[in-house]
Amino acid sequence: MPIPAHSTPPAPGIPDSALPGPYPVGEYAAALRSKLRSFAHVQLMGELVNLRPSRARVYFELRDAGGAISCAAWRADWEEMIARAGAPAEGMQVVVAGGCDYYAGSATSSPGFSFAVLDLRLAGDGDLLARIERLRKQLDGEGLLETQKRLHRPALPRTIGVITAEGGKARDDLLAALARRGWAGRIVWGFAPVQDRHAAPAIVRTLGELAAVAGVETVIVARGGGSLVDLLCFCDETLCRTVALLGVPVIASVGHHTDRTLLDDVAAVSCSTPTHAAEAAVPVDCTRMRNEHATAAARLREHGRRAVRSRAELPTAARRLREHGRRALISRARLLAGLSRAPSAHLARQRARLHQQLREIRAGSRRRAESELRLTERRAIVLERKTASCVLDCRERRPRELERLMLALSGHDPQRTLERGYVLASSANGEQLLSAADAREARELRLRFADGTLPARIER
Amino acid sequence: MSEPVGAPLSYEAASARVEEIIRRLDSGEASLDETLALVSEGKTLIELCASQLAAVGGALEELHLDELVARLESEAGA
Repeated sequence: MPIPAHSTPPAPGIPDSALPGPYPVGEYAAALRSKLRSFAHVQLMGELVNLRPSRARVYFELRDAGGAISCAAWRADWEEMIARAGAPAEGMQVVVAGGCDYYAGSATSSPGFSFAVLDLRLAGDGDLLARIERLRKQLDGEGLLETQKRLHRPALPRTIGVITAEGGKARDDLLAALARRGWAGRIVWGFAPVQDRHAAPAIVRTLGELAAVAGVETVIVARGGGSLVDLLCFCDETLCRTVALLGVPVIASVGHHTDRTLLDDVAAVSCSTPTHAAEAAVPVDCTRMRNEHATAAARLREHGRRAVRSRAELPTAARRLREHGRRALISRARLLAGLSRAPSAHLARQRARLHQQLREIRAGSRRRAESELRLTERRAIVLERKTASCVLDCRERRPRELERLMLALSGHDPQRTLERGYVLASSANGEQLLSAADAREARELRLRFADGTLPARIER
Repeated sequence: MSEPVGAPLSYEAASARVEEIIRRLDSGEASLDETLALVSEGKTLIELCASQLAAVGGALEELHLDELVARLESEAGA
């Protein structure tokens, strides 16, 4: 590696050391970065785990049985890669292409090595997921996913065992949730690591010890969420078999819905958070139930009081019943007497009504006859007057009128004119001739005199 | 998840029976003698539930498994 030139005066080195330097670390880090970047670019294959996207970069690890390496890619490059190759799932077998890189850090940020990923190809499910799936099927085939679910879980346990990390947040969440439910029984804490390779054996041991403590009715195994790699200890075969065969119900709260472990499948109940685990461990909301019991007790007291009161009131009720009976008897007798009188009273009412109707009919007919008589008399007078007027017409007015008409008519009679010496001339076919020209043209004439008609001819 | 035969009544069974009793009483169908018997049974059950709630209603008791195991081992060794 080329040693950078000194940019500041060198500090005195370690006495008697044969090694060169000291060099400023920043310069050495920069030189290291150059050296690493000069390594040949290659392709690597392994299981992709612990995928952590950030705003500008995406980080993950590539692992296999022999080792692991940290990888990083720029966010924009990563988006392009997964658009081309598909998005890898946690634990998936992948091939990456790229080269070594080193972030030299600064006075305020930590340095770090990573394999700079420039391309990606998905190569199928990783061994990790396949192993877990095989084990899940095996446990299911042996019926071990159901044994815990058949156990009786008390609604109100007095003692709960909890396995979690001693300083973890899960502990506080559990205590807060139990307090909210008004539960303040006994908790036996079994602290154990919950995410490294020592975790599974430690949890198995703690489970056995907790189950042996007298009075522990439910056990909670709790931790905060994490990637599937962090939760691998909860997929441990020995742990899962121990839980399946435990006589105490186990409530698992070790991850989120997206990171389901084998413990979640084996346990009696699987919860996503410690808060839910506390609610599953104590299904009864103690605070609410205390209030409800007080209400129920009050109602029972009220029912009891009413029952006692009604028993005390029995003799009074019997007296009142007898009194009611007596009154009912009298009332019935009165009703019957009334009914027996009813037919004759009814008949009398009907008779009176008939008489009244008869009187009304008679009075009505009398009024009608009188009215008709008056009308007839009025009509007779009118008729008489009209007759008199008609007689006058016939005797006096009509002869005078007739005479006048006869005179008017005789004024128009042509016979009277002929009698005075006039002659009417007409053609042979009877047409009236009113001028000498017409008579000349007709030639053959008929002349009518008062005493007869003569034929005539126009010669010239 | 059924109740073991002969075991003392659990909280959930007692609580469910109290609800049943109150429903019967509220219906008004119970005779006088039945009412008195149900009220008496209900009171006993509520006392049972209340005592079970009281047992987890005091101060939270926290024990450490390591200490318990160490104590048991020392008692066994003595």
